[in-house]
Amino acid sequence: MVLTIDTTAEHIGQEIAEELRRRDKNAVELEVIDTAGMHISHCVGCNYCWLKTPGVCAIHDDYEPILRKMSGADQVWLVSDTHFGFVSWQTKNIVDRIMPLVTMYLKFKDGQMRHVMRYDHQPDLGVIYTGEGDQEYLKRWCQRTALNLGSRSLGVFSADNGKEAVSCML
Amino acid sequence: MHVVIINGSPRVQKYSNTEKIIAAFAKGLSEAGSTFEAYAISDRKTWDVIRDAYMKNDEILIALPLYVECVPGLLLEFLETLPKKDERTRLSFLLQSGFTEGCQLRCGEAFLEKLPGYLGVRYGGCLVKGGNFGIRIMDEEKQAQATKPYQAMGRLFAEGEGFFREEAKKFTGPEYFPLPMRLLIGLIQKTLAKNVFQKAAASLGCSTPLDAKIWD
Repeated sequence: MVLTIDTTAEHIGQEIAEELRRRDKNAVELEVIDTAGMHISHCVGCNYCWLKTPGVCAIHDDYEPILRKMSGADQVWLVSDTHFGFVSWQTKNIVDRIMPLVTMYLKFKDGQMRHVMRYDHQPDLGVIYTGEGDQEYLKRWCQRTALNLGSRSLGVFSADNGKEAVSCML
Repeated sequence: MHVVIINGSPRVQKYSNTEKIIAAFAKGLSEAGSTFEAYAISDRKTWDVIRDAYMKNDEILIALPLYVECVPGLLLEFLETLPKKDERTRLSFLLQSGFTEGCQLRCGEAFLEKLPGYLGVRYGGCLVKGGNFGIRIMDEEKQAQATKPYQAMGRLFAEGEGFFREEAKKFTGPEYFPLPMRLLIGLIQKTLAKNVFQKAAASLGCSTPLDAKIWD
């Protein structure tokens, strides 16, 4: 399943979905989440999802259903506006709160310490952005974040090149 | 030198590791004859006051925990509310994380290096240090011990060269652990550490295995 999580002001996730459907009628299972109107807090760093209620976030808002879908997806695409060349705080909040998918336990992987993942399946991660994104930095960040999840980066695409991203979804 | 110190952690101040680090750092500043005023963004109600201090002062230090390879979402939101200033203002960073090795913090540091440019201000360098996860659960004496090295960094910062001096760069410690160390730590993580974590969890009232698969 391909999941797009759209936090952009102009809801460009919809265009991506239309493009995908145009190219590939029904073969790819696509789920589009638009976070407009949802209540999604920032991560408060309480560590409860590691130490008190393992796997469960202490904040009860509209986020948990999104995280469940992320956990089950093959690909997660963050569709984000940019600020300081980076994803918006709305998108960063969504990423910061993936910690319930991660356990407190640690191991070394490729010479670096990593957390042991809670579930066997991990989604790959990509970014589609509007505005003046720092492409090189976003690439680096997406790769590092996927590394944390024990998965791969699908790449980083400006919304103007959204069609390239769609090619990666097929 | 008068420094505005902003704690960029979203965690409540009482339990904030960054807060303990700032306390030690500020002690060093004072010892070297500098003064400071400290704020924390975790309480949104204080954002106007913090922004005012940011605008009125020219020596700003943001101390923050690494959140998923970069700045915590809440700090990013706060930063978006800052009006542009000019190069008379210098913005420095103290970036800390749970992971210990220096390599874990470089992606976050790379963002912070460019951030002052977006805000129109001058970059004062970034002090990078991992291995701080446990500070919160230590008793006061151990906390003081663990954060003491930051005191020397406060004294160094008071000398006016930001975090560009060799001592600040060395402060990070090893970029990667050497192989024998990795093997040893890896073994501890597989065995002893799991018990330690599970005990820490039990003290919070948790009886679930820490690696439980909740949704399967």
